[in-house]
Amino acid sequence: MIEFSLNGENVQTDIDPNTPLLWAVRDSFGLTGSKFGCGAGLCGACTMHVDGLAQRTCILPLSAVAGKRVTTIEALGSADNLHPLQQAWIDYSVPQCGYCQSGQLMSAAALLEQNPEPSLAQIDQAMSGNICRCGTYPRIKQAIMAAALSYDATTKEGA
Amino acid sequence: MRIKNLSRRRFLKTTAVVGGGLVVGFSIFGLSEDPLPVVTESDGFVPNAFLQFTADNRIIFYCPRDEMGQGVMTGLATVIGEELDVSPHTMEIVHCEVHSDYANPAMGIQATGGSTSINAHYRPLRQVGADTRALILAAAATDLNAGINELKTEDAQVLYNGQAYPYGRFIETARNLDPVTDTPLRSQADFRYIGQMSRRTDALAKVTGQADYGLDAKVEGMQYAVLVRSPVFGAKLLSFDDSAVANKPGVSAVVSISNGVAVVADSYWHARQAATALRVEWEATEHSSLTSEQHRSELTSALDSDDETTAIDEGDIQLGFADARAQIDGSYWTPFLAHAPMEPMNALVRLGANDAEIWLGIQSAQAAQNLVSRVSGIPTENIVVHNLFLGGGFGRRGVATHVVEATEIAMAVGTPIKLMWSREDDIQSGFYRPASIARVRAAVDGNGVITAWDVKRAGGDITPGTVKNLLPAIFPSLPSGLANGVASTVGFLFSNLSPDSSSVEGLHENYKFANVQVKNSSIDHGVPVTFWRSVGHSNNAFVAESAMDELAIAANIDPVDLRLKNTVDNPRLNNVIRIAGERMREMKLPEGHHLGFASHGSFLTDVAQVAEVSIEDGIIRVHKVLCVLDCGLAVNPDIVRTQMEGGIIFGLTAALYGEVSLEAGRVKQSNFHDYQMLRMSEAPDIEVIIVDSKTDPTGVGEPSVPPIAPAVANAVFRATGQRLRDLPLRLKG
Ligand code: FES
Ligand code: FES
Repeated sequence: MIEFSLNGENVQTDIDPNTPLLWAVRDSFGLTGSKFGCGAGLCGACTMHVDGLAQRTCILPLSAVAGKRVTTIEALGSADNLHPLQQAWIDYSVPQCGYCQSGQLMSAAALLEQNPEPSLAQIDQAMSGNICRCGTYPRIKQAIMAAALSYDATTKEGA
Repeated sequence: MRIKNLSRRRFLKTTAVVGGGLVVGFSIFGLSEDPLPVVTESDGFVPNAFLQFTADNRIIFYCPRDEMGQGVMTGLATVIGEELDVSPHTMEIVHCEVHSDYANPAMGIQATGGSTSINAHYRPLRQVGADTRALILAAAATDLNAGINELKTEDAQVLYNGQAYPYGRFIETARNLDPVTDTPLRSQADFRYIGQMSRRTDALAKVTGQADYGLDAKVEGMQYAVLVRSPVFGAKLLSFDDSAVANKPGVSAVVSISNGVAVVADSYWHARQAATALRVEWEATEHSSLTSEQHRSELTSALDSDDETTAIDEGDIQLGFADARAQIDGSYWTPFLAHAPMEPMNALVRLGANDAEIWLGIQSAQAAQNLVSRVSGIPTENIVVHNLFLGGGFGRRGVATHVVEATEIAMAVGTPIKLMWSREDDIQSGFYRPASIARVRAAVDGNGVITAWDVKRAGGDITPGTVKNLLPAIFPSLPSGLANGVASTVGFLFSNLSPDSSSVEGLHENYKFANVQVKNSSIDHGVPVTFWRSVGHSNNAFVAESAMDELAIAANIDPVDLRLKNTVDNPRLNNVIRIAGERMREMKLPEGHHLGFASHGSFLTDVAQVAEVSIEDGIIRVHKVLCVLDCGLAVNPDIVRTQMEGGIIFGLTAALYGEVSLEAGRVKQSNFHDYQMLRMSEAPDIEVIIVDSKTDPTGVGEPSVPPIAPAVANAVFRATGQRLRDLPLRLKG
């Protein structure tokens, strides 16, 4: 039995602890926003936050998140309460097929959490583990820069 | 409960005189007699195949083309919404099911591809929108006791006497009126949505993880399957040993089907883990020892073979070389490529006693329906296709062998089956852009006029294999023997009479040459090939536009001027070349940066690109790309821009990395570590200039791909003096 926090809720499961977190979350908990692109940690489609850090969950065994906080795209924001990055993604028409975008957003959100004012080079570095076959990189970059401005303002207001 | 919309449809037939005076009946677009696969909501009104108005004032648009990232839902909603006077953001937009009304007017079957969607639906869907609005207005005039001329509309509302009434208010009356036809379309000056829209209608779902793809589909009682396929294409199964598999956790069955051995389990992870323990013997084929070196050398020898067909032979080539100022002679290589859409292939199939459902994202829902029917024997009218968002298409989801696989496994096992391909399956057992080699001999005179253009291409052809896969998908009851027979006839024709146009497209058509000859030798090495974003243009623009650059350099002519001189009969292409050329001359370059130019028209759209390149530590870096295009009227200029950006990055991946190679008849690459994709840190800044136009829109999904590889290669020559004639581009030494 493995217990962890999934999007703020304590959950437990008795499936095989070697199962990658991606499949546990998608198939046992029914949250299908995180995607499968390579199964080898090479594309970032499966990115979730584990204790606030972006992780490739297709190669992360369930056992590794015991007692930890897991956050998926479903909890980043919702239609009526979008995360600044999600709003920027819409404003800059980032998604094409959209399949990679949950992972892109989770990587970007982890970046801003750590570094609310990233330089272009820092964005490149943080985002280069996420492949987009549709080629939305230029828009992702613009959207992160735009979100960083409002994100910064929000956090400062809150402070 | 599914209620098919039978009784409330009103039908309208008309006749027309077609060529030769033959009178035929045809149904007006969206109004054929077959029952529609539309779930009518209680009191909903379905005036045609594309629209439903509900009593609670929602308007549902059944989008006939498949959303694979190209923005077709937003685009077609804009087109129909323009005349219906409903904002695309006011509509609910869903993928349609299978029905003859949803056939692509450019193809005659229900399929999405060839950058045809906006062009082919631009007028038909506007007509549907205009006629439907006219019907609503007629109903409103009756209900409000007003003259039609006193009524206006604005975003799904009828305006009358200072009041606004939602369209839904009039559907009870509208459903009893005769359909309206031939309503005049708006003039461009009155457009409210076309040419304006920027945001995509599917963005919210895609940024909140709520957009559903085939991978996300579920049904009660389903099992997961993975399929072990032959590593050598087309090899037959000899035997398998599942003794180490059957007792692995979660495994419920191991079955052999036409295309391999399936491991079925209670989760994808269990099925995938267990499959590694399967031992399978495959028969050897004539290609079991094929290597890339052998393949390339056979294509190269074919350049001198006269076992060839002729695409064009005009003027006198020898004469063209006679008084040349400069000549070139070079051979260009383009490799096999995988599509690698981010979502690997998958399909969920549920078979009932005499009904079935399939969930997937596909470029032809009709093909999926027909293939399920063909394999299971269940009639097509009892098969529901749930077409979901496609996690990338690029041509790959135009092939549906995974539908056959999933249906065969479901039949063998007796439960609903979700078949999932891994990335390794995708790279190693898929379909590919054909590899090719092409030799260009060309000459230019003292005035910059190209006097001879002589091309010989050798490589695989797409169409015979496509016919073999597609015929059963179009005609589900066609015996396979016949499908294979037609396919080999097509193959025979291409080898003996006239080339497969997919193989030679883009080798000469953009220019007007007085003396021109293009020939092709078809060579099949058993590697399954299919459409890959921009198809033959993806190979052939590299050939033609590299050769143009070489010719310009050999004759000491500006490469832009050379193109301008030889495109005077092609004014739209000539114009984008001129605009891009002027911008190129103004560009200020940092030390060590160099520019390359290429232009190419494909899918009715003309594109010119300038690539700014430097060499850093022996690596080709692309910093900026300027892209000028004429695609007619841009229905959604921002989506046009995204298609240019995406196509350029897709093409750059091919230019810098893309290569599927063979060893012992098998694909060597397996995942993104050795089949690399461009990443954000390598993506250039891209500027897109859309030429103002009032002509009908043309394709944008593919035309930005072809010019980028030659633009970069031409810049690399200026940076290094190395003329790279092989893709992917690799610097020597
Ligand atoms: S699916 Fe996890 S990194 Fe690709
Ligand atoms: S939007 Fe399609 S892969 Fe990124």
